Amino acid sequence: MTTQQAATPTAPPARHVPGQPDMWFFVLFESLIFTAYLGVYLYYRAQHQQAFLQAQSHLTLWLGVVDTIVLLTSSWSIARCVEQARAGRYDVARRDAYITAAFGVIFLVLKVVEWTRQIHLGNTFSSSDFFQYFFFLTAIHFVHLLIGFVALGILVRQLSDVKLRSQELVETCATYWHTVDFLWVLIFAVLYVAR
Amino acid sequence: MERLNKRLLAVWAILTAITAGYLWIDHSAVHGGRAQASTVVTVLAIGLATLKVRIIMREFMEVRRAPRLLCRLTDVWVVLMAATMIGLYIAGRILAR
Amino acid sequence: MSPVALRDNPKRELWLAWGATVFFYNLYAVVFFVFTHIQPPGQPWYSPDQARTWFSHHHDGLLIGLALIFVFGGLSATSIALITYSIRRMSVSRAFSYSYLIIYSVSAVPGFLFICVALTAGAMRPDRSPQLQHWLYQLGFLSFSGTMGVFLIGSLVWMTAILLDRNGVFPKWFGYLNLCNALTEVVVSPSWIFKTGVFPWNGLIAWWIDVFVFGIYTGVFITLLRGFIIREDFGTGPLPPAPHWRFWATEPAEAGS
Repeated sequence: MTTQQAATPTAPPARHVPGQPDMWFFVLFESLIFTAYLGVYLYYRAQHQQAFLQAQSHLTLWLGVVDTIVLLTSSWSIARCVEQARAGRYDVARRDAYITAAFGVIFLVLKVVEWTRQIHLGNTFSSSDFFQYFFFLTAIHFVHLLIGFVALGILVRQLSDVKLRSQELVETCATYWHTVDFLWVLIFAVLYVAR
Repeated sequence: MERLNKRLLAVWAILTAITAGYLWIDHSAVHGGRAQASTVVTVLAIGLATLKVRIIMREFMEVRRAPRLLCRLTDVWVVLMAATMIGLYIAGRILAR
Repeated sequence: MSPVALRDNPKRELWLAWGATVFFYNLYAVVFFVFTHIQPPGQPWYSPDQARTWFSHHHDGLLIGLALIFVFGGLSATSIALITYSIRRMSVSRAFSYSYLIIYSVSAVPGFLFICVALTAGAMRPDRSPQLQHWLYQLGFLSFSGTMGVFLIGSLVWMTAILLDRNGVFPKWFGYLNLCNALTEVVVSPSWIFKTGVFPWNGLIAWWIDVFVFGIYTGVFITLLRGFIIREDFGTGPLPPAPHWRFWATEPAEAGS
């Protein structure tokens, strides 16, 4: 291990908390809240199987898969960004951050397109129980994603300004972004696949 | 750095493959052109999702290089989330009868 | 250094305000949840006759409990004032503390007083027409839940101040807890649309989960305010670190203790 560290001086220090520990508090707390929301959905769904199945069939599964892959890719690029920043390659890190933002925007656009399509099909927030949950869960996740752009903005500013460049803050913002990603992973599995 | 980059790419590929796997799960759960309620599919979907969450946490969020307390805490959290969702679904099925 | 006599203690006003805050939130919990049974809220799908019945069942509790609120409700100002004071102690612009003060003072009118007035009015004249009683019932509960938007902006203001603060008045995790609280308040907005399910004003998501988080949030900020008062040095720079935790402490721990 030590020879590897000598050969690659950019290897991270041993055992450090990624970003502010405070952000991890948020990650864990928010995960519980979303688990509660998804749990409530699953409980009610289990009691009204046919109605939910019928409504769920209006969803396009492959669109959900694409959404998930888009966010996973954005997570991958922000993870790379953190590594590059740690290695001192701030320009490359900034590029990775912009790639992350671009994938985030793609997700937003896909979401809006999907909502519009569902509304045209006659499925709205109040048209059925399933779509009540669908619009609620995707909308509250959408809000989290919008906040993610604020985090990305803070991250880019850190990378751009020579006087700043706090690795802790970069990691904190990345941690938030990954949370938005994994929350979607859960929502996708529960809304689009679980039956 | 190259090793870390390759590792991240490999993780992304695994996560994407699992995601694509949902298409197969869904396809195999459709009988006679109509979707059916299925506890197996639901449990599998949630299980795979929480597995992906754990991978994201360990690899992308760098938990595997974090202090062991955070490693254990996130593992407990993943199990807690899976158990809560699956538990409530099964409770709902039981109470629906 | 022995504790300074209460009369000369410069923090006594802060402790008075903190004590009033604790008293107010306990009163609020007891009155709303126990005396009046306003919380958990009544069913949103009640017909006018059912709303009238609800008022007659809750008649005495409503009048006594809400009378207490009308007498002591002004103490809610101490909570807002103390938080405003704590934001002023931060290194951020005073605009944050003033914004918080205005937002929470204003939001208390539709978000707290309306329900008290509407439900008292409903309880006081049980012989009124069911339609009017129904209107008062809905006005009360909808104003209580539906105006969360103003409160949530206040939470975001506090959150931003905490995250930008360099004086360490509150820990950063509490800043993020403000975000969690604000996000659970966002999900109350569907209560304007639904009367059944999980999103009406008494729904599992719009009420139960939201109030659970709010309860934790309130307990946490009351505790953190106590820690802040202990650490307060009436300066403008970073606050001294948190003391060793003793329930009865009112002063920072001495060095080496």
